[in-house]
Amino acid sequence: MTKVDLQSFLPLKTQWFHIMLSLAGGEQHGYGIMQDVLERTTGKVHLWPATLYGSIKRLIEADLIGESNDRPAPELDDARRRYYRLTSLGKRVLDAECERLQELVRTIQVKRTMVTE
Amino acid sequence: MTIAGRIYRRLAEAFPHEFRMAYGDQMLEAGEDSMRRLANKHGAAGIVRLIVDIALHLPLEYLSEMRQDMRYAARALAKSPSYALVGILSLALGIGLTTNVYTQAWALLTRTLTGVANPHQLVTAETPASYPYIERYREQKDLLTGVAAVQNSVEFNVALPGQTAKPDRVYGQLVSPDYFSVLGMEPQRGRLLSAELDKTGITPAVVISDRYWRSHFNADPDTIGQSIRLNGQNATIVGVTPTKFDGALTVTPAEIFVPITVPATLAPELGDDVLHNRNLKPFQLLMRLAPGVTIDSAESALDGITRRLDKDDPLAPPQADKAKRLVLMGAATRVQIPRDLRPKLLGFYTFLMTIIIAIACLNLATMALARGIGRRKELAIRLGVGASRFRLIRQMVTEGILLSLLGGAAGFALAWALAAITAHTRLPAGSPLNPDRSVDWQTAIFAFMLAVACGIGFSILPALQATKTDVAPALKQGMALQLSGHKRFGLRNLAMSAQVAGSLLLLLVTGFLVLGILKSNSIQTNFNPKTMAFLFIDPVRDGYSPEKSQAFFDRLPDRLRSSPAITSFALAVQPPFLPGDDGDFHLTVDDPHASSPVQKGVLKQTVGAGFFAVLNEPILAGREFDERDQRLDTTPAQANIGPPLPLVLNQKAARAFFGSVNGIGEHLRGDRRTYEVVGVVPDMKDASGMTQGIAYLPLTRHDFAQPPSGGITIVARGHSAEDALGGVRSVVASMDPNLTLFNVQTLSEYLELIRAAMRSALRTFGGIGLFGLVLSAVGLAGVTGYAVAQRRKEIGIRMALGAHKTQVLGLVLREGATLVAVGTVVGFLGSVALAKAMSAITTEFSDAFSLGVGDPRLLIGAPLLLAGLALLACYIPASRAMAIDPLKALRQE
Repeated sequence: MTKVDLQSFLPLKTQWFHIMLSLAGGEQHGYGIMQDVLERTTGKVHLWPATLYGSIKRLIEADLIGESNDRPAPELDDARRRYYRLTSLGKRVLDAECERLQELVRTIQVKRTMVTE
Repeated sequence: MTIAGRIYRRLAEAFPHEFRMAYGDQMLEAGEDSMRRLANKHGAAGIVRLIVDIALHLPLEYLSEMRQDMRYAARALAKSPSYALVGILSLALGIGLTTNVYTQAWALLTRTLTGVANPHQLVTAETPASYPYIERYREQKDLLTGVAAVQNSVEFNVALPGQTAKPDRVYGQLVSPDYFSVLGMEPQRGRLLSAELDKTGITPAVVISDRYWRSHFNADPDTIGQSIRLNGQNATIVGVTPTKFDGALTVTPAEIFVPITVPATLAPELGDDVLHNRNLKPFQLLMRLAPGVTIDSAESALDGITRRLDKDDPLAPPQADKAKRLVLMGAATRVQIPRDLRPKLLGFYTFLMTIIIAIACLNLATMALARGIGRRKELAIRLGVGASRFRLIRQMVTEGILLSLLGGAAGFALAWALAAITAHTRLPAGSPLNPDRSVDWQTAIFAFMLAVACGIGFSILPALQATKTDVAPALKQGMALQLSGHKRFGLRNLAMSAQVAGSLLLLLVTGFLVLGILKSNSIQTNFNPKTMAFLFIDPVRDGYSPEKSQAFFDRLPDRLRSSPAITSFALAVQPPFLPGDDGDFHLTVDDPHASSPVQKGVLKQTVGAGFFAVLNEPILAGREFDERDQRLDTTPAQANIGPPLPLVLNQKAARAFFGSVNGIGEHLRGDRRTYEVVGVVPDMKDASGMTQGIAYLPLTRHDFAQPPSGGITIVARGHSAEDALGGVRSVVASMDPNLTLFNVQTLSEYLELIRAAMRSALRTFGGIGLFGLVLSAVGLAGVTGYAVAQRRKEIGIRMALGAHKTQVLGLVLREGATLVAVGTVVGFLGSVALAKAMSAITTEFSDAFSLGVGDPRLLIGAPLLLAGLALLACYIPASRAMAIDPLKALRQE
């Protein structure tokens, strides 16, 4: 994989970014991702079910996330649920996106100090 | 469950199969969970958001699947380029030709005129009417909101402002001033004619067509108000019609619209007090039905009125005659078709288009079936890993549609090219510009829809067949699963035979037409055609008074005789050999003793002195017209008075009336006159190949005072046609240099033009027939090729066991030959039945059909040609089978 490949995914779509961010912490099922995003953004970002699963489908097609075979303990598991994880490409794309955002924040801060001075 | 919950579930269940398999349950669970939470937190708004989200994603998922299918289809086609190429070519031909038929015929019959309001309310009568009758129809306000009178293909000599050259001959319409308001038309520029403004006695106002405005005035806005010379009189242009409108009730485009309120000096067609004379019926009716009135009720009401009006007319058919006096038909299309003929004609073209497209589809279907067999292993794998059968079928159909769209694009280009060729074909003498038949966006939509339908049509059955697979054996054996056997190929064999049958059907039916046209096209002359020329002259429309015109024609024969360049000449209303006539003519034998006198309909042709001498035709009995007849004065007012008019019959007409080629001195009645038969002449074939019963009427001073719309024809012969032309030109110029000679042609040129028009028809029909031939050959070659490829192993074993090459060849050919034989028999019977049916139901084609059907060359030749070509198509792949190396073939499996 070359750097160019990663760049072609950037900037990530908002939903994609949030889904991938939720999976950065470990495997998760769809509904879990939805709630995780809701909590993390204190209700500001709501991934509606069809949007969520449509995005998951496309993320899998783009090979950024994959289905995980590891399942939780049987008493916690629901057979209908599928678990997802980041692929290695997904991890690198997420890193690249985070770096891009950090760069953006840095630029904004520099500009802001220039304005306040 | 709540209503919202139910809606959500329904929508979730509507997602594509693959999506539902992977995410359906989870999405449902997530949705139902969120619904409770959302209801608590946001109330109804939250629920609505949820539903909107899923409703928006539903079509998106299908679109994304379609994109995937398309990508996959493109890859699959790219992998088998020869299949793709043959497929695209077949479809391009099929769709292109069908689209061509659509633009050339279908659209002409069905598309409504541009710029017309509520076109379905417009009707016309099948027969023309007299103006007094039209005024009575106009009074039926509860039936009709408007009735306009139209006289078609009226020619005008037009001199534009500043034009110093001789005037142009322009086709137009003479219309009642309410013509445009009946059409419900708005002007593009200026104003259209109106009953209030365009009254008798003012400077005539005329409207020009958009096309004429662009071609002769460069679309100059200042054209409105300009004064032009029309048949030598002043007239003012007051308006321009909407784009693309060039006259209702006419196939030949009208360039200028002149109100019937102009004086007869401007339009000689208005002479004889035609607006008040109920015996003259030159006007087409253009009527608008009142809202809610059906064409049937209007027809019966108007028929009753006509019947009452006819009571006062002693010459009308007796009241006991039950036949309809007035039959209505739709008027909003370019070509008007009687209502009973319309479904038949449309049926024929639908049939023609369907069979062309069906052959292309069958061709593709046989190839797709063969391909499907080759792809069984791939399909079995995909079924095995959980793809739904529906998904696979959709995938294969998508492939078909993609192929078909590519073919459709090429086909549209073909139709465009064909239309361009047709548009450049000139028509025979006197006929004006071709009506616009170019392809447009409607044609593009037609071609697109056709391509999609084709794509689905040819791929659905093969897809069903190919996916009807037992996964396990297909995976194990792959391609070798279906080694042979007629039964396994049931659907394909059927498709193949149907294709051969359809191709033969097309070949024969088009062949009948082509042969019919060819036969009709052989005009025989008793003289060298290179010595004859025609010219047309029309002094009245050059501004002569009727008396001056008569004087001119009185002097003309002597002057022409004195010209050394002219060996013989004659005047006539129409040049010889022209298909068509001056109209039907009913004559009754004037026999006071007969209880029911013989009455026959014949064609009427008006010819001058020495007409048959110029054509070198012998006179079988009596005499032909001479210059005394040409000096007769026969205004309609004098009908039924004075001595009978001389009349010449051809053999066919003489036999019809008198049972023999004689009858000299007998009297015939018709058209409000008595005629005396003075001569009988041989039958002559016209340019459409028919010999009809013809009554020749003498050209008289009345015709010279009021020349027919096409002018008077001078037929002249010299040592060469050019000599004759030069002779006539210099004679006319010496009499009056300002007179216009138009449509100047030699007979050879004229015949060439007729042939060119015929050739265009030949090209269309011949092309269609040839198309069927090529396609079925390609299809057969493809299918046999596949069969051979699939039977490599079998053939290898046979050869290893000592089978001879010719035996292998026979084995492969036998299958193809059976298909061809079955198809040929079915196609042959079908086409003969069809041709019989066609000539029985439509007169449009019966002439050509009756000439073409029964030609042994075609009936024997076409099936032989097709069968031969088909066997050749089988032979090529079969001969490849002979080259199979048994060792290699066996190792391969």
